[in-house]
Amino acid sequence: MLKILIPTLMLFPTTWITTPKWLWTTMTAQALAIATASLTLLNWDSETGWTSTNPYLGTDPLSTPLLVLTCWLLPLMILASQNHISPEPINRQRTYITLLVSLQLFLIMAFGATEIILFYIMFETTLIPTLIIITRWGNQTERLNAGTYFLFYTLAGSLPLLVALLILQKEMGSLSMLIIQYMQPAPLCTWADKIWWAACLIAFLVKMPLYGVHLWLPKAHVEAPVAGSMVLAAVLLKLGGYGMMRMIIMLEPASKNLAYPFIILALWGIIMTGSICLRQTDLKSLIAYSSVSHMGLVVAGILIQTPWSFTGAIILMIAHGLASSALFCLANTNYERLHSRTLLLARGMQAILPLMAAWWFIANLANLALPPLPNLMGELIIITSMFNWSSWTIILTGTGTLITASYSLYMYLMTQRGPVTTLITAIEPSHTREHLLMALHLIPIIMLTLKPELMWGWCF
Amino acid sequence: MADYRDAPLASRPKTLDPAEYFAVSPAKRKAEEERAAIRAQLKRQFQLQLNDPRRVTTIEDPALTRWTYARVSNVYPTFRPTPKNSLLGAVCGIAPLLFWYFVFKTDRDRKEKLIQEGTIERPFQLSS
Repeated sequence: MLKILIPTLMLFPTTWITTPKWLWTTMTAQALAIATASLTLLNWDSETGWTSTNPYLGTDPLSTPLLVLTCWLLPLMILASQNHISPEPINRQRTYITLLVSLQLFLIMAFGATEIILFYIMFETTLIPTLIIITRWGNQTERLNAGTYFLFYTLAGSLPLLVALLILQKEMGSLSMLIIQYMQPAPLCTWADKIWWAACLIAFLVKMPLYGVHLWLPKAHVEAPVAGSMVLAAVLLKLGGYGMMRMIIMLEPASKNLAYPFIILALWGIIMTGSICLRQTDLKSLIAYSSVSHMGLVVAGILIQTPWSFTGAIILMIAHGLASSALFCLANTNYERLHSRTLLLARGMQAILPLMAAWWFIANLANLALPPLPNLMGELIIITSMFNWSSWTIILTGTGTLITASYSLYMYLMTQRGPVTTLITAIEPSHTREHLLMALHLIPIIMLTLKPELMWGWCF
Repeated sequence: MADYRDAPLASRPKTLDPAEYFAVSPAKRKAEEERAAIRAQLKRQFQLQLNDPRRVTTIEDPALTRWTYARVSNVYPTFRPTPKNSLLGAVCGIAPLLFWYFVFKTDRDRKEKLIQEGTIERPFQLSS
């Protein structure tokens, strides 16, 4: 872990000392070096699954794919932000990069934590840089509202979690994940126990987000600048999924009955948010609602707690992280040229920017879960395990897949096909940086198709 | 205009109706002229912007801006609960949750009962 943490910490001095001419190049290069070093974490050689050199930070097959995704995303965020931040004074650029790097640091410590309290503290700490990124560097006046929704939804969900963790510490004596996996499941029968059960999960359900408490997500994703949207969609949502997968192991056997409302909310949410996507005006809002839809499937998978559903949840989290982040970068390429996110404004872009249309195509295919990409594999494994849980879920998940395909097609056809709008006459050609960004998003998805063992987690 | 006669089986279209041109009241004609003048001004502004050699931005369409604002940011202030949309919310938002809760609970309880009795059939050997 130190080989990841120390270079990440040293990104702070690099940001402030580098000459302005080399700032972005240096930051991208160092972040890529950290991402490459994080790939070595994929070498799990311990029988117990956990690889840790100290009692506080360790990795296991669940956290490693998410850690690698986080480390991989930082150079991509820096690449994506380069253009829209460049008009600002150099110190403000450095501040922006410092925020991204500090977010990265907290995320690495969150995914590497072996104590649940450290995970909780890092979970909360990631809110602060994200809030600053959204409210300071967002583009519309609604960003303040978006930041407020984001902060208070997550805080309101996670304060009960703090109380629940303190209760757990008092009962168990330790909050280390290495120990808790072996503890006896407590009989959860009183009302207070049921509230404790809910308190453990609400924070992560709000973060995922679950359908009923998802209101913060479209606002935050739309108003954030591109790096903020990327990290929100790709990693911060998965923090919720990761936390839920860690906590839910010790919440048996009450989960059998108490999980029904949340499973149903998640499954119905797939259909509702998918349908809302078809009526969106704003491109980023469409992608944000599609994130809610995919994460609904992940939430349902995690709540039924079978080995296959956990595997499907992890695969879908990783694949969705990369695909959703790719779509936000594509939406940003449109936004930088037109300063508008309206779907109707940027039509027929295939005639103007054909190479970018190829990336749009692949990203939309990944979003609609085309075989053999891991998006489909994750969705299919979750759908299969949900079918085993109860045969009637196939109606909801099947309709959800159909709606996902239709809104992905809608997004592709609206932005790329059709007549070019007359209002647009001067579009910059695509930068090589943008092509590189898209390649670095989509090539890992294609490569993960060939070696899914990296993503499967420890249940397969 | 040329003297068009109505075809035996087809009626004259509205734009070829002489009453449209020759029997218009002065107030109506004045209103039509004002509207045509506004349209011409808008077209002129658009053409000026379209052919301006120094323009680098896209041409802003105020109608599109108003429409986007109304659809995205002005939803809640203009919402009023009516019987129709409350019913819609209940049917799409609350009733399905209750319906699916009963469906899943009944199905799972039935399976649990079969497992308890030992009569469950597992024809395939599958992990899940």
